[in-house]
Amino acid sequence: MATEAAPMDEKAKRMRDLLSSFYTPDPSISTPTSSISTSFDNINGPSFDADQYMDLMIKKSNLDVLLQRHVQMAAEIKNLDTDLQMLVYENYNKFISATDTIKRMKSNIFGMEGNMDQLLHKIMSVQSRSDGVNTSLFEKREHIEKLHRTRNLLRKVQQFIYDLPARLQKCIKSEAYGDAVRFYTGAMPILKVYGDTSFKDCRRASEEAIETIIKNLQTKLFSDSESIQARAEAAVLLKQLDVPVDSLKDKLLEKLEQSLDGLQINPDEASKLAEHNVSSKDEESNNQGPAKIHEDAVRGFSEAMRAYREIFPDSEERLFKLARALTTTHFENMELYIRKRVSAADFLGIFRIIWEDVVLMDEVLPEAALSDLSAEAAQVTLKQFVARTFSHLQQDISDTLLKFDINQKEVVDGEVLKVVLEASGKAEFRQLLDENTGIFVKMNDLLIGWIQKGFQDFFRSLESHFLVLSGKTSSSNETEGLVEGKSSEKIHAGLILVLAQLSVVIEQKVIPRIAEEITASFSGGNSQAFIPGELCRVFHAASEKLLQHYIDTRTQKISNVLRKRFKTPNWVKHKEPREVHMYVDMLLQQLEEVGKEVKQILPQGTFRKHKRSDSNGSNTTTSSRSTTLHSDKMARSNSQRARSQLFETHLAKLFKQKVEIFTKVEFTQESVVTTTVKLCLKSLQEYVRLQTFNRSGFQQIQLDIQFLKAPLKETVEDEAAIDFLLDEVIVAASERCLDVTPLEPPILDKLIQAKLAKSKEHNNNNNKTTVSS
Amino acid sequence: GPKNLKSGPLRSSARNQRSQRAANRRETFLPESVNVGSEATMQGGSSGIGYGLKYQARCISDVKADTDHTSFLTGTLSLKEENEVHLLRLSSGGSELVCEGLFSHPNEIWDLASCPFDQRIFSTVFSTGESFGAAIWQIPEPYGQSNSSTLDCVASLDAHVGKINCVLWCPSGKSDKLISMDEQNLVLWSLDSSKKSAEVVSKESAGMRHSLSGGAWNPHDVNSVAATSESSIQFWDLRTMKNVNSIERAHVRNVDYNTKREHILVTADDESGIHIWDLRKAKAPVQELPGHTHWTWAVRCNPEYEELILSVGTDSAVNLWFASASSEKQASERSAEASRQRVNPLLNSYTDYEDSVYGLAWSSREPWFFASLSYDGRVVIESVKPFLPRR
Repeated sequence: MATEAAPMDEKAKRMRDLLSSFYTPDPSISTPTSSISTSFDNINGPSFDADQYMDLMIKKSNLDVLLQRHVQMAAEIKNLDTDLQMLVYENYNKFISATDTIKRMKSNIFGMEGNMDQLLHKIMSVQSRSDGVNTSLFEKREHIEKLHRTRNLLRKVQQFIYDLPARLQKCIKSEAYGDAVRFYTGAMPILKVYGDTSFKDCRRASEEAIETIIKNLQTKLFSDSESIQARAEAAVLLKQLDVPVDSLKDKLLEKLEQSLDGLQINPDEASKLAEHNVSSKDEESNNQGPAKIHEDAVRGFSEAMRAYREIFPDSEERLFKLARALTTTHFENMELYIRKRVSAADFLGIFRIIWEDVVLMDEVLPEAALSDLSAEAAQVTLKQFVARTFSHLQQDISDTLLKFDINQKEVVDGEVLKVVLEASGKAEFRQLLDENTGIFVKMNDLLIGWIQKGFQDFFRSLESHFLVLSGKTSSSNETEGLVEGKSSEKIHAGLILVLAQLSVVIEQKVIPRIAEEITASFSGGNSQAFIPGELCRVFHAASEKLLQHYIDTRTQKISNVLRKRFKTPNWVKHKEPREVHMYVDMLLQQLEEVGKEVKQILPQGTFRKHKRSDSNGSNTTTSSRSTTLHSDKMARSNSQRARSQLFETHLAKLFKQKVEIFTKVEFTQESVVTTTVKLCLKSLQEYVRLQTFNRSGFQQIQLDIQFLKAPLKETVEDEAAIDFLLDEVIVAASERCLDVTPLEPPILDKLIQAKLAKSKEHNNNNNKTTVSS
Repeated sequence: GPKNLKSGPLRSSARNQRSQRAANRRETFLPESVNVGSEATMQGGSSGIGYGLKYQARCISDVKADTDHTSFLTGTLSLKEENEVHLLRLSSGGSELVCEGLFSHPNEIWDLASCPFDQRIFSTVFSTGESFGAAIWQIPEPYGQSNSSTLDCVASLDAHVGKINCVLWCPSGKSDKLISMDEQNLVLWSLDSSKKSAEVVSKESAGMRHSLSGGAWNPHDVNSVAATSESSIQFWDLRTMKNVNSIERAHVRNVDYNTKREHILVTADDESGIHIWDLRKAKAPVQELPGHTHWTWAVRCNPEYEELILSVGTDSAVNLWFASASSEKQASERSAEASRQRVNPLLNSYTDYEDSVYGLAWSSREPWFFASLSYDGRVVIESVKPFLPRR
């Protein structure tokens, strides 16, 4: 049995292996413990080969062994079989119980789903409830926490406020106003709200401290001795303390504004200022001149502005306004100033002052664009000044001209005017140009343009002014056209002559001179507004027009005398001539006036004989012929001879060349007088032609004309023409006479002598009366 | 060479007179078809056609009713000689001036106007030396005979006492109305040429203060007549015979209406030449022209070319003006510019005269011709064709 025990062990081991292989699907994994049986002869090995085993057995062993073996094997197989059966049975039992268990489980699981849902639902509601509770509690918790913190803070604040008065006092002592203000403003809200409670005393104390601080700060702000920085800080602090700084600022600025009045340039005193400005330049010692004072004032003003600007940065706009206002008033005053007559020097003096002021202010307030503003204003002012200067010039001229009526001699030399024209013309404006104050440099071109334009317009308006003065306005101007006719009587004829001569002077001297002046000083720039050629033409035309107008006016007057003379009597029933008619006196008086005026105003011409129409015959022969005729005539004595003498006059006229009566008028005394006399005699002739005379009427004409002969020849250079025209009158009268019987020369002579004596006596009487009176 | 002889004012011997006449005849007076054109060309420079009257003369009139020829009537002014009326006709070529008729007139003629509807009828104002008279004459038929024939007196306008200035024919053409004017009175006549009678329709005094000197009948309004007086231009309404309007203007010597443009009136005065008026705004003249060196005696607007104005003066010249500004619109537009440019309105000055020029007439048939008459009796016809505005 021992032997059996060992194989029995082996047998058990094998069995286990087998069983485990049963449960183990993969034989390769089977434990290698059975390695001994791995050989082919291991019956439990996988590589067991029954045939080989048999072969081996047979070969190696005898029958016994074999039988033994056989029995052994058969027993083993039987054991195995039983084991297997056992195993199956056990497994089956287990399987059955497993199946039961599963069956039970299945029935248990069924119906669990609903419970699970219910469960989930409940869990959810539980969760939400817990959240709600959580949040509702959170706020409170937070609040509690905040309150807690506040309480801590309050505790600190309380401490702070209680300390505040002391602290402030400390600050006042150390002049640390900044800190004090910071503390106070910090405490301010609390004090404000809880001032009435337990902080009352505290508040009062700190307020008192702050009062002191404010006072200190204000004094600091207003004191000019403090640095600007300090003042600015004080202002800032005051502002922080809610002290109404704006009212302070307003006060300060108002003060500044009020000081503006003092800075203004009074137009009435401006000239003094300008004068002193000029003189103070010469002598530096004279510091107390008004200009200096003004300058200092403006300097102070601009300094103040600088300070306020720093102190109240928000006041810039107002300062700008102030500065601008000052600049504007400066220019306005300037404008007022130049409304009166101002010399260019004074003008420039004031201008310089203003410009300096502007520069001072501009330094402080460059943003105010003062220089632009003043440049604009300066342009306007300057333009006005130029315009005014021209209008003053014109005023001068017309004033001088109007004085003419009152005092003839004064204006006799129109040279005065010429001087006025020239002197004020160039010097004034050149001074303007020479000025190199800032803006002027910029405006040079403009200025040149204005001056040129000014001259051009000036002369143009002068010309029309002349024409208006002379009463010869252009008909295009309707309103004046009406006046023309009426006022022409009032206009002194001499004035017209002065105007005519003046036009000549302007044309020949003034305009070229000014043109020269302009090219010398006022050229440059691109404006060519001054056109001397055009002006010369204008004045040339004007001078001729005016001269013609003068002659027209004069002859018109004489013509009126003549018209009356010829219209009044009935010439057909005229009575025998007893004396030379008095109209002759009037005629001569008028001509004398012309002569006087002309002598005073016009230049003397080179004396020359009357010029007749060029191509016809020679001059001298005709005039000699006519003179011989006249001397002949004088020699005859009886009426028969007188008649034939008249006939000879006719004859002479036939052979004589036509005398040019209407020659061009020249600007000489002689030419004007001659023209006037010629026109008058022509009028006389025409009036005679319109009448019909009886013998006496004719004789009266003859007498009058004979009387006129001598004085007329005295006044007129062109004797031949006068002779001719006087003869023409006689001829015309004889043509219009029903019975031509000339007066006999002795009678003629007697009557003329009587007239001469009478007029001499009259003159003497006149002289006596003037002397006695 | 010797110029035109004056008619002898002296009572010199017959021989003397004869020789004078001979001289005249040689140069100026030819009884049959006178043509002095050659003389005019001899003088050079002038394109005018001349004709010489025997004596001095002041008036010339266009024969408007003669539609076949350009004719003029002119009459002499001589106190002592026998005065003549000449009917002159411009040949068709415009190169010759022919005397179509020569008629003696009893007195010296101060005014002459041709009837606008009958070429044979004309009016004269004449003076005996002591008194004035006015009459309507008819040229006898057939006229054109060489010898001077007598005129038929149609009517004598003898309603005046003082100095008669002028006789105006109604410009409408067919009307038989006439106006005669002396220094104080305006008389409207109705003429019946077939019955040889003229009747006063109405007569009105202008007042002693207004010494009338002449006038013009408004061609645009037959009821309106402009009369010049010493101090103003008066406008008379012939229906009421009242002075309805006036322009204060002293010493206006002559007046003429612009036939082409209504309301435009041209005047000549001593003082300042020629004025052009627009009667709708008569406060001031529309335009002023310088006129003449001495008196401007007469002005005439061209019947066809509205801008052309002629004036004659005692400076022995005839001036032709271009007055564009007589249009009020242009005046306002141009006045500024014009005054600046100083355009010379004087187109031409005809100066080829020996003495003062008093007579002036445009031809209404050929409106580029005008006749002028200087005191020495010289008629000159000129053409303004070179100066006509381009159209």
